[in-house]
Amino acid sequence: MFDLESQIRKWRGHINSTGSLGAQDVEELESHLRDSIDELTGRGVSAEEAFLISIRRMGDAEALHDEYAKVSTESVWRQLLVPADDEQARRRHRIEIAVVLVLALFGGLLGKIPALFGHPVVEESALLYARNAALFALPPVAVYLIWKRALSVRFIAATALTFAAFAMAVNLYPSYSPYHTEALSVIHIPIALLLLMMALYAGPGWRRPSLRLDFVRFAGEVFIYSVLLALGGMVLIGVAGAMFTLVDIDITPLIVNWIAVFGGCGVAVVAAYLVEKKKGAIETIAPVLARIFTPLFALLLLGLIVTMALTGKGPSADRDLLIMFDIVLALVLGLVLYTMSARDIEKAPDWWDGVVLSLVVLALIADAVALSGIVGRLATYGLSPNKAAALGENMALMGNLVLLAAGYFRLVSGRVRYETVVDWQMGYLPVHAVWAAFVALAFPPLFGFV
Amino acid sequence: MDIQKDLVAASATPIVLSILRHGDSYGYAIIREVREVSGERIEWTDGMLYPVLHRLEAAGFVRSTWKTAVNGRRRKYYRITRQGEAELARLRRQWDVVHSALQRLAEPGDMGADDV
Repeated sequence: MFDLESQIRKWRGHINSTGSLGAQDVEELESHLRDSIDELTGRGVSAEEAFLISIRRMGDAEALHDEYAKVSTESVWRQLLVPADDEQARRRHRIEIAVVLVLALFGGLLGKIPALFGHPVVEESALLYARNAALFALPPVAVYLIWKRALSVRFIAATALTFAAFAMAVNLYPSYSPYHTEALSVIHIPIALLLLMMALYAGPGWRRPSLRLDFVRFAGEVFIYSVLLALGGMVLIGVAGAMFTLVDIDITPLIVNWIAVFGGCGVAVVAAYLVEKKKGAIETIAPVLARIFTPLFALLLLGLIVTMALTGKGPSADRDLLIMFDIVLALVLGLVLYTMSARDIEKAPDWWDGVVLSLVVLALIADAVALSGIVGRLATYGLSPNKAAALGENMALMGNLVLLAAGYFRLVSGRVRYETVVDWQMGYLPVHAVWAAFVALAFPPLFGFV
Repeated sequence: MDIQKDLVAASATPIVLSILRHGDSYGYAIIREVREVSGERIEWTDGMLYPVLHRLEAAGFVRSTWKTAVNGRRRKYYRITRQGEAELARLRRQWDVVHSALQRLAEPGDMGADDV
């Protein structure tokens, strides 16, 4: 007896196993196959025959995969550096590459501004350079996005004002030993600036959750690309340094003060260009990374909670513990965002969403245990800028994870659609940026610039 | 009639875009329409249409959305974009040039006859 459903299932398994078609691609092909079978059986062909004819018409799986692979290689390499086919596209492409190169140089020049104010050597003024790093690397990206999206004057003005405000705050505020508020500014400025980048990336519709999700994906990929490019650059610099030592010339100052500054400040805009251009090469890595590390993190947190319960040892109220937990929560949030940006938004909830939910819940439990130990101590010893910032972050992150836990719980129990969970999360994102801006701009005066 | 592979590949984009210009459609319906309008003479391997569609989408010529049909089957519908219409016009002009050149060359006696 011919069982059509089981045959289709087998065919789907075969298509899946031979390569890298996405779930949506397979679903699209299956829908096609069923349409074809329906039409044939409607004409009086038996189910078995209809199935065989439809399969044959579909073409053999290997050839299909080659064709699909061509789509991705083309969208990656063809669009990247091999000139496009027609003259107009080629011209546009050349202009874009020129713009990106000029902007990368512009970043490097921004990075040399401290030299004009008597700080030419990076190693001697490391904190100054670190404090301004985001203000060197991100303006080129901002200009690139403004150019690419042809954004209105309002966006340009808002961008200029934001960068100017941060630049003045970081460089004109006084700073006294032990420089805690200054260090806090360094950490929080990039987070605050991400909100601006989100607005520029999404353009006029930046309040729309789907565009924000696109930005999350964009930011993640820019980060991965930047790391890859930076690694390549470091290898290049290392080799260059080693070669010049052979001829007894020390080029370290040149490397540190010029090549590293120009490379470091230009890398973000080049990465942004690559991500904008190709869309899809890393997309296949993101879900894999998320799938590997989500369960591992869940296990780690579970181990921590079980250990604390068994040994009866609460977390010691170490000053660094709060920061440690902030990092863990931020990583968990990052993983969830990563998963979100890689997940098919229309897919029905499955066991994987349960895994994400358990990760979020475990993080919340671990954090609650840690916090209960810390809050009391805080009341006794008073607030320092570091503790206040860490506590604020902890609350912002916890709020976010509670929201995610609620969202994923409702999703898994089938009460809301995935889109709603994404909407909530995207709506919450600015909270982190606003708090970061507050720490960067308001903490120094609040705590007397220490 | 067997049409040469390169010609099939080259004509796929303008044919698909032309069909979509008449209205949104999904893969299976597109294949059926191609078969119909060519009097069954253009036969594509069904599966090969999708990479073409995805390439067009990556290039911004079409946009896709999932829709659920009356019988509950989910289908991915494609819609032509303004960019796609411009591309179609461009490709059509190219085909016209090739076509008219072939036409003229096919009738050696008439060469230059309608050269006004």
